[in-house]
Amino acid sequence: MVYITSWDEFVERSVQLFRADPDSTRYVMKYRHCDGKLVLKVTDNRECLKFKTDQAQDAKKMEKLNNIFFTLMARGPEADVAEVTGKEHIDAQPTKKGRGRKQ
Amino acid sequence: MVLLQPDPFLNELTSMFERSTEKGSVWVTLKRSSLKSKVKRNKMKTAGEAIEYRCLIRATDGKKTISTSVGAKDHQRFQASYATILKAHMTALKKRERKDKKKGAEGDKKEGGVKKPKRV
Repeated sequence: MVYITSWDEFVERSVQLFRADPDSTRYVMKYRHCDGKLVLKVTDNRECLKFKTDQAQDAKKMEKLNNIFFTLMARGPEADVAEVTGKEHIDAQPTKKGRGRKQ
Repeated sequence: MVLLQPDPFLNELTSMFERSTEKGSVWVTLKRSSLKSKVKRNKMKTAGEAIEYRCLIRATDGKKTISTSVGAKDHQRFQASYATILKAHMTALKKRERKDKKKGAEGDKKEGGVKKPKRV
């Protein structure tokens, strides 16, 4: 199995894969502390997407992907993922407003 | 396979991470599931009942497997705690760039050392 090297491609394709077959797609994370390695896998038992990393910054990106999959799986494949990724904007808005008022 | 409540699951997951620092891996799988058998699902379908799906979370260290499930109402609280645990335990991953620069500098020193030992 070939690892996908581009993170954005991995995210896009895994969400696509899930939406195509929500009932049989799973998302697996493997973490190996002694080697400092993190492997992410999304598969529907026909197609398999994998992403491998040893970088701490990718763990942060993974957090977002986790949120996407939690939302998609708990709420259903039609759930709006932009809500998850755009959540930061919602959180950021009040502070922006606050700043605006002060000025 | 033990199906736990979300909080005991997170506690057990934490100890799995702690046990596997020297050797071994931890796997965490997310899957959408109704937690019902196929027969029951089909019965519900024909009866026209709505099937409730939840997000099933399974974790294993190769020896022990634990699982839990979260629904639409409680997944946000769970994923926040889950992210905190991951952040606290994924400490073996590399920080970016700075280390690479240091490595580069060390490499230069070594090369210099071979050609002309400084200490002698």
